[in-house]
Amino acid sequence: MVYSVSELIAIAGGYLLFLFLVAWITERGWLPARLVRHPAVYVFSLGVYASAWAVYGSVGYAYQYGYNFLSYFLGISGVFLLAPILLAPILRLTATYQLSSLADLFAFRYRSRLAGALTTIIMLIGVLPLLALQLKAVGESIQILTGTDDPRSLAGGFCIMMVIFAILFGARHATAREKHEGLVVAIATESLIKLLAFGAVALLGLYGVFDGPGDLGEWLDEHPEMLARLYYPLQDGTWHSMIMAFFVSAVVLPHMFYMAFTENLNPRALITASWALPLMFLVMALCVPVILWAAAASNAPTPPDYYALGIGMVTGGHGAVLGYIAGLAGASGMLIVATLALSGMCLNHLILPASPLHQGQNLYRNLLWTRRTLIAAILALAYLFYRFTGANHTLVELGVLSFVATLQFVPGLIGALFWPTGNRNGLFAGLIIGFLLWLLLLVLPITYPSLQIPQLMELAGMRYQHGASQWHHVAIASVSANALLFAIISIVTPMSRAEKNAAEACAVDSLRRPYRWELEAKSVDDFIDALTMPLGPITATREVEMALRDLRLPRTETRPYALRRLRDQLETNLSGLLGPSVSHQLMDDHLPYLPKEEQGTSEDIQFIESRLEQYRDRLSGLAAELDGLRRFHRQTLLELPMGVVSLGADDEIIGWNQAMEALTGITSADTIGSRLADLDDPWGEFLTRFSRDANAHQPQQSLEVGGQTRWLSLHKSLVMGVGTAEQAGGQVLVIEDITELRHMEAHLAHNERLASIGRLAAGVAHEIGNPVTAIACLAQNLDGDSDAREQMESSQQILEQTRRITRIVESLVTFSHSGSVRQTEHVPVSIRDTVDEAISLLLLDPDHRQQRFDNQCPADSWVQGDPQRLLQVFINLLGNAADACQPSQPITIHCQSVDPYLEIRVEDLGHGIPANVRDALFEPFVTSKSPGRGTGLGLALVYSIIEEHFGSINVESPLNDDGGTRFIIRLPIHNAAS
Amino acid sequence: MYTDRLLIIFILGTYLLSPAIIDWWSEGGRAWYRPYLIWLGLIALSYWIAKSKDVDGL
Repeated sequence: MVYSVSELIAIAGGYLLFLFLVAWITERGWLPARLVRHPAVYVFSLGVYASAWAVYGSVGYAYQYGYNFLSYFLGISGVFLLAPILLAPILRLTATYQLSSLADLFAFRYRSRLAGALTTIIMLIGVLPLLALQLKAVGESIQILTGTDDPRSLAGGFCIMMVIFAILFGARHATAREKHEGLVVAIATESLIKLLAFGAVALLGLYGVFDGPGDLGEWLDEHPEMLARLYYPLQDGTWHSMIMAFFVSAVVLPHMFYMAFTENLNPRALITASWALPLMFLVMALCVPVILWAAAASNAPTPPDYYALGIGMVTGGHGAVLGYIAGLAGASGMLIVATLALSGMCLNHLILPASPLHQGQNLYRNLLWTRRTLIAAILALAYLFYRFTGANHTLVELGVLSFVATLQFVPGLIGALFWPTGNRNGLFAGLIIGFLLWLLLLVLPITYPSLQIPQLMELAGMRYQHGASQWHHVAIASVSANALLFAIISIVTPMSRAEKNAAEACAVDSLRRPYRWELEAKSVDDFIDALTMPLGPITATREVEMALRDLRLPRTETRPYALRRLRDQLETNLSGLLGPSVSHQLMDDHLPYLPKEEQGTSEDIQFIESRLEQYRDRLSGLAAELDGLRRFHRQTLLELPMGVVSLGADDEIIGWNQAMEALTGITSADTIGSRLADLDDPWGEFLTRFSRDANAHQPQQSLEVGGQTRWLSLHKSLVMGVGTAEQAGGQVLVIEDITELRHMEAHLAHNERLASIGRLAAGVAHEIGNPVTAIACLAQNLDGDSDAREQMESSQQILEQTRRITRIVESLVTFSHSGSVRQTEHVPVSIRDTVDEAISLLLLDPDHRQQRFDNQCPADSWVQGDPQRLLQVFINLLGNAADACQPSQPITIHCQSVDPYLEIRVEDLGHGIPANVRDALFEPFVTSKSPGRGTGLGLALVYSIIEEHFGSINVESPLNDDGGTRFIIRLPIHNAAS
Repeated sequence: MYTDRLLIIFILGTYLLSPAIIDWWSEGGRAWYRPYLIWLGLIALSYWIAKSKDVDGL
């Protein structure tokens, strides 16, 4: 079936619009996040590797090089099978330092703008043939299906469509910092469509051309040369270099780096990809020989590169469209992602370092438009390459050019991950020599066969044939020279300190040991001011605020530790916007650290700890044992029941344990990294004074905290520098809260005082009781014996006074008994009934007859206790309240359960208790009543009774300006259920 | 140390065994799917490793 050009362009347009719709729906959040972040989406998005090369080129490759075609699929499968040791470290690096391309990684690791620029240039030139391959594949597939003459203009049209869609997909926002969820889902959809269409073509071959697997087997028996053709190229030994080239290209190709690391939405998905992606490519690779044989068996009317189309053309129907869609999907996905990635690299490493950032201009808008222009320029370059050189070469030749170019990044990448000695000089030398060899020995001979390059190679002892057939020699020669130079020059030339630090940060098994250097900027506003000059006020403010949000820090932050983190975060964020080299330079120029001589340095322990926490799962053997030990000691310190504060040499707080948090109410997150003096008062001033005091121990210091006095014992010790000798030591403060102990001592002293007064009272009562009894008897006799009125009155007064003495003596006796431990059995007591009984007794007293009492205790208010003694408590409390009140002022009694206690509140609206009396209210002989009205023993007795009942009593007075008193009693509650 | 020893042994083993594997594969004749079987075996191994441990805390 012959198609028209417009039909095929409409299919391409419709397909791309569908993909854009998928991306748009995803970005709108209409797809559930679980689906978007599902590992399967990540795995399929990595299918972007299977470009038009996989769909068309690999069949042509199999035709030409037999089973060697598998190296393309096995290369990427090998990379992902080794994902845990090969890709996981790169993913961690890119995520931690916001590195979005290989150029970013090299610029960061080798601390060199030039490294980024060189990588970008080589990558751009190296990938051009692969981009051209995609344009060529789509142009030629349309040409084959429509029979038109000129695939170049078709490819040109496709190129323009790609510019539009690449901008729509990935360059609608300024920065590469945000993950493009829409792009990821669209590319995953694209891979799924590609896989299904390619599989459908293979099935069409298997069941349309053959009659199933059995028929294919018979056909192979009849045509043993087809199998021999597959096996034969395996013998020539090119297998290893081929698989190496494809292995490397699967990591460093810009679109693979971009999808695998920059757009990774879920790090754990990498582990799923370690088996799922090889499985996906296994399925694709399985289709290749089937398509090859089916096309051969049916004499497909296309070149081998386009057998995927040829089968459909032979079998009729719309089968050819399946092959077209598979190729279109492969080409468009690769073109979009690779152009986006390359545009980012060019922007960060070629454009931005060369053009100064201007103040006052809208940085984001400039970046966005530069990026869009770059996308168009890169695709235009790819088209020009195709038009002037690529059109005359097969897909295999074009692909091979790019895959060998990517090999040049292997030494640098190995250096970045596994060899901290490798330096930028070695990288430059290696990259340049490798690139030149590639250009001279592979690109020029293929693109300009008239040049006499072969003689050069033969001089070097290499067998050379025209074209790409011997490309593996060039691959081995160029990458060997590259690696050798990289190693030798790295070893013989010195490395800068910054590069050493970056190398350590990148090396997979080392831990960066940052120092706590102090920044010149002292506040967030200083940061904004410093960045306003290079970025302009709007961008500076927005970037600083975003970094604060990322770190969840407040705008008022001034802690040195937090400001250092803010600087790191800003550098990381700006790296996503401007690339790591520009960002690093910007930070060094505008947010510098204080000169080293002006500050004591010590290691940033907090940062090392947080890093160790992240590395936890990666430690094994001795390192894991040491980490376990570290955790144990740390936990011991954290959970020590005494407050511990560790200070650096510059008084910066580097440790603040849980007891300190409980004591001060300030969390460690708020204190770590601040200076001791910056703590809120009273703690800041109190601890700073002690830390500077010559005395290492200060027992029993009092401190007013929130209106209450706390008693603290302070100890401190100097800590010598840990680790390297250049670090200054700090000190550790131990703060022991002895407030409870002080209260307990006061309580014991009070009880002891009560007991001694009780003993005294017992003795006095005994001694006074007898004479008073005698006086009373004599007075009664006198009263009976005499008729004289005056004498009778005198004897009555004597009797009255002796009764008063007797009452006082009785209360003394009662009080003295209360000091001894009484073995009474506690029974459930209804507080409501007890209070009612106390009220009815009080109402018998003529003085209180008019008093209003309001017992609001519910009927289910029960406590454990001695009913008689609790009655005594309420008589005393209510009596005192009634004495203090006017009859019109009600006295209320409330009860409420405060598990495991019942809280009883006795409130009056009387004149209140003077402050001087209130503080010693429960001491014996303390009273606010006028002389002769009270003994001062009632409340002391109440206190003793409540103590006996394992409860507590407190007083609040005055309640307001008019007075008022509230007694709060807590007694162990009695539950009916218990 | 973080490096997964099992995988290192696997890489070395594969490298050492590769000539034997290629020979076995080249003698496949009609059993042209032999390389795919080895491949499938590797995928199964990788699946087992991914399931059996928390690889590198990712």
